[in-house]
Amino acid sequence: MKYARLVFIVLSLGTAAAAAPAANFAATFVQTRTLPGFDTPIVSHGLMRVDPHGFYWEIKSPYHYVFAMHDGHVHEELPDGTKRQLDPDQKPWLAAVEHIFVSALSGDRSQLQRYFNVKAEPINTGTHVTLTPKPGALAKVIERIEVTESAPGHPERLQIREKSGARMDIRFTPVAAQP
Amino acid sequence: MIWRKAARWLVWAISLGLLCGFAWSRLDLSQPINTNVLTLLPAQNDSAALTRATERTRNAFVHELLALVSGTNAADTRAAAQAARRAMLAAGLQAENLGQTFEQAQRVFQRHHFALLDPAQARHLRRGGAKALATDVAVSLASPAGMVSAFGSDPGGYLTQFLAALPRPYPDFLPNGPFLSATRDGRHYFLLRLEVRGAAFAKQGSALAAAAVTQAREAVQQTCADCRFEATGAPLFADAARREAKSETIWLTVISTLLIMALIAFVYRSLAPHVLAGLQLVASVAAAAAAVIAIFGSINILTLVFGTTLLGIAIDYAFLYFAEYWFGSSPPAAVMEKIRGGLGIALAAGALAFAFLAGTGFPALMQIAVFSVAGLLEAGLVVALIFPITLTRQPTVAAHPAVNWPRSFIARACRPSRWRYIIPAVLLAVAIPGWFFLHASDDVRELQHFPPQLMHTDQHIRTILGRFPPPGFFLIEAPDLNQALAREEILFAHVAQQLPQANAVGLSRFLPSTSRQQASLAAWRSIFASPAKLRTAFAQMGLPPALGDHLEAAWQAAPREPLTAQELFAAVPDLNKFVIRTDHGVALLATVFGQSNLNAAALRQAATGLAGVQFVDPLARIADTFERIRVRATWLVVVGYLLISGILVWRYGRREALRMLWPPLLALGVTLGALGWIGVPLNVFVVVALILILGLGRDYAVFLREVGARQRSPALAVTLSAMTTLLSFGLLSLSQIPALSAFGLATLIGILASYLSAPLSLPPEREKP
Repeated sequence: MKYARLVFIVLSLGTAAAAAPAANFAATFVQTRTLPGFDTPIVSHGLMRVDPHGFYWEIKSPYHYVFAMHDGHVHEELPDGTKRQLDPDQKPWLAAVEHIFVSALSGDRSQLQRYFNVKAEPINTGTHVTLTPKPGALAKVIERIEVTESAPGHPERLQIREKSGARMDIRFTPVAAQP
Repeated sequence: MIWRKAARWLVWAISLGLLCGFAWSRLDLSQPINTNVLTLLPAQNDSAALTRATERTRNAFVHELLALVSGTNAADTRAAAQAARRAMLAAGLQAENLGQTFEQAQRVFQRHHFALLDPAQARHLRRGGAKALATDVAVSLASPAGMVSAFGSDPGGYLTQFLAALPRPYPDFLPNGPFLSATRDGRHYFLLRLEVRGAAFAKQGSALAAAAVTQAREAVQQTCADCRFEATGAPLFADAARREAKSETIWLTVISTLLIMALIAFVYRSLAPHVLAGLQLVASVAAAAAAVIAIFGSINILTLVFGTTLLGIAIDYAFLYFAEYWFGSSPPAAVMEKIRGGLGIALAAGALAFAFLAGTGFPALMQIAVFSVAGLLEAGLVVALIFPITLTRQPTVAAHPAVNWPRSFIARACRPSRWRYIIPAVLLAVAIPGWFFLHASDDVRELQHFPPQLMHTDQHIRTILGRFPPPGFFLIEAPDLNQALAREEILFAHVAQQLPQANAVGLSRFLPSTSRQQASLAAWRSIFASPAKLRTAFAQMGLPPALGDHLEAAWQAAPREPLTAQELFAAVPDLNKFVIRTDHGVALLATVFGQSNLNAAALRQAATGLAGVQFVDPLARIADTFERIRVRATWLVVVGYLLISGILVWRYGRREALRMLWPPLLALGVTLGALGWIGVPLNVFVVVALILILGLGRDYAVFLREVGARQRSPALAVTLSAMTTLLSFGLLSLSQIPALSAFGLATLIGILASYLSAPLSLPPEREKP
C-alpha cells in the first residue's frame, strides 16, 4: 500500500525532475478529486509549504485538516479538532514516503525511477514531467502522473489518473515563502 | 598347515565381507554422510503439536537462503538482481513470488474489508457513529498521503491501515516484483528469498545452494561490475561445515598415519608391521563404518571424524603382538599365547567401556559406541586370526636403545622411592584448585565452528535487513482455530506491551479471530442502520451526501461475514504453515522478530500465565538434552568403572586391583584440573574423553600386569600405544571444531598423565641384577 501514498511523493516532482535542490516553496492550491460513479467532483482548498526539512499541507475548506511532516516527525490535525502524532515506526510507509520525499527535494530522481519511467520535457516556465509506472503493482493502479512547473522547482499543476477512472487535479498558486 | 592358514583368511574375509555387504544394502545412497548434527539428538518426549512445530520451524530455517544484491544505480542493481535470480533458479533453487502473493492476499482482504477493523477502530465507529466515519473519510480524502481513489476501495483508510500493519518480512524492505527492495544511504538493495528443496543439510542440498550462490555471484558481476552480491543461510553453513570436516578428516588421518608409520619403521625396521598394521587399520575402520551404516543407514560426520581417532586404539593390539614377536622372549608360534590374556582383557574392557556409551540415549554417542566397539573387535580379530599365520619366522632385528628405553623407564619408576608418592601428590595439589574453575557448557553453538567470513556476511545481511532470527517460537494450542486465534491475539497484546520494539508474526495478524471480525462488522452495521444520519454527517463535513449512499451500497454488496481460514488459505497457501492440526484441536505457530537479538527470557515471560500458550526455545532444549546426556554419561562412567574394578578385583585380588586402578584415577584428576585451569568447559564430548582416559589407563596396567611387569615387550607396547594415541587423539586438539578440540585436549592431557603414571600400577620393587 505504499503506492497509495503517491500524491504526497509527486508533490516534490518538480524539483526531482529538474535534478536541482529545492528552495522553499509555498502555494495555495485547489484540489479536485473525481471519483468513479460520482458526477460531482470533491473540491477542496488549501495551503502547502515545502522546505528541505519537511512539508506542510493544510486543507482550509470545506473542512479543516492539517498534515505536517518535519524532520521525521509527522502530525495531523483532524476536522473535529483532534491532533495526533503519527509514529513512522508504527506506520512504516511514512518513513518510506519521507525518505522518497527528501530524496526528491534534494534532486535525486532515483527513487522515482525505481517505480516510474520519467519523461521530462522543457517548457517555457520550467519542465513538464510525465511519469508512467513500471510494470508491477503500481501499474495496476496508476495510469499516468503529470506535473507541470510554473518555474523551476515550483509545481503549477499535478494530475494523477488512475486505472479505475479516478482522477485528481491539483492547481498551485505560489505565495511568498514563509520563514 | 596351508589349509589352516587359508581357513583363517577365509573366516576373516567372509566375516568382514558379510558385514560390509549388509551395510551396503542398508546404505542411504542419497545421504551416505550426514552433516546435520541435530539429527544426532535424542527424540524428545513432546506432544505431537510441539514435535511438528519444532520440525516445521527447523525446516523453515535450514532450507532458507537469503541473497542480497546491492549497488548505487537502481536500474543496474535491479538488472543484476534479476540475473542472480535467474542463475539461482536455473541452479535448482526455489523462489517465492512475493508480489503475486501480496496481490492475492490484497484481493481477499479487499473483499472482507468491513470485517477487518481493529478493536480500536471498531470502538471508534461504534461510539462516534456516522460523524466519526465522515471525519475519517474526510481525512482520507484530504491527506496528501492518501490514495486518490481510496474512497471507492477503502473508505476511511481502515483497510490501508490493516495492510500497513501486516507483518513485513524485513523492516523497510517492500515488495518490488519478485524481490523485496529498499534504499539506504544512496545504496539500492534487492533481496531474494530462496529455498533449498530436499535435505538442506545433505550433501546434495547444501552443495546445490553453494553452487547456486557461486553462479549467482558470477551473473551479478557480469551484469553490474559495481554491484555487490552476498548470501547467507543454513545450507551455506552446512556446506562449509562439510568441507571443513572433510578437510580436517583428511589431514588428521594423513598426518597421524604418517607419524605412526614413521614410529613403527623406527622401532621395528621392517615392512611387515606396516603391512599388517595397515591391514588391521583398514579392516577396523571398514568394519566400524559398516556396523554404523548397517544399524543407522548412514554415518554422521561427527562419527566419521571421531572414527579417525580409532587409528590410535586399534593399533594398540598390534603393538602388543609386534613388541612380543620382535623383542619379546617368546618364539613366534607362542606369541599369541603370551599376549592372549592382556589382549583379551584389554579388548573386553575397551569394548565394555565404549558399549556403555550406547546407554546414554544420545544417537551421536550410540553411533560412536557402535563404531568403536566394531572397530576394536575387528582389530582384535585381525590380530588373533591373521598375525599368527603371517609372522611365523624368527625376526632378525636386534634390540636397539629405543626399544629398551621403555622398560628402563618402567623399571626406574618402579623403584621404591618417596618420589612415587611425592610427584602424584604435587600433581594433585596443583590440579585440585583447577577443579573449582571447572564449568559446564552444553550450548550446542559452542560445539560448532562457523567460518568467520560466513559469519561476517550473515551479520552484515541481517544488519541491513534489520531483522535477526528469533530465539524461539510460540506455540498456541486450543480446541479449534478460532480459539487459537483469540489466544494468539491476547499473546501479541502482551508482547506489544512488554516488547514494544518487537514485531509479532502469526496467523492472527492476517486472519483476526471471529469475535474480533464480528465486532468490526457490528460497528459497520450500527453505522448503516440509519442511512439518513450518514448522509447528514457527510453533508455537515462539507462532503457530498451521496458518498453516504455509495458507502451503504458497498456495504449491501459486501459479504458482511468474517473472512474464513479456508478463503485466506486458498489465496495465500503459505499461511497454512502457521497451523498445525492435531487430534486434540489446533496449534498455531507464532514468533517475534526484533531489530536485534531478542531475549528468550522476555519472550517466555510474555507467554507466562496465558492458557494454551508456551514459548519454545529450541537451542535451550538442545542444551538441556546435552546436559542430561552429560550427567547420564558421567554416571555411566562411574558405574562402568566400578564394574571393571570388580573384574580386576576378581582376577588380581583387592590390593593389586586397587593399585591398578589408582593411575587412571590420578590421570582423570590431573586432566580435570588442567581443563579447569585452561578454562575448557565440560561438555558431553569431554566426558567421552574421560571415558577414554580411564579405559586406556586401565589397559596399560593390564598389559604390564598380564604380559610381564619387568619385561621389554609390554613396556614397549604400552609406550607405543601411548605415543600413537597421542598422535591420533591428541591431534584433535588442533581441530577447528570446538567439540573435537576439547575432546582432543582432554585426551592429550589424560593419556600423557596415564602413561607417566602407569608404573604406579605395579608394586615398588628393586630391579634384579
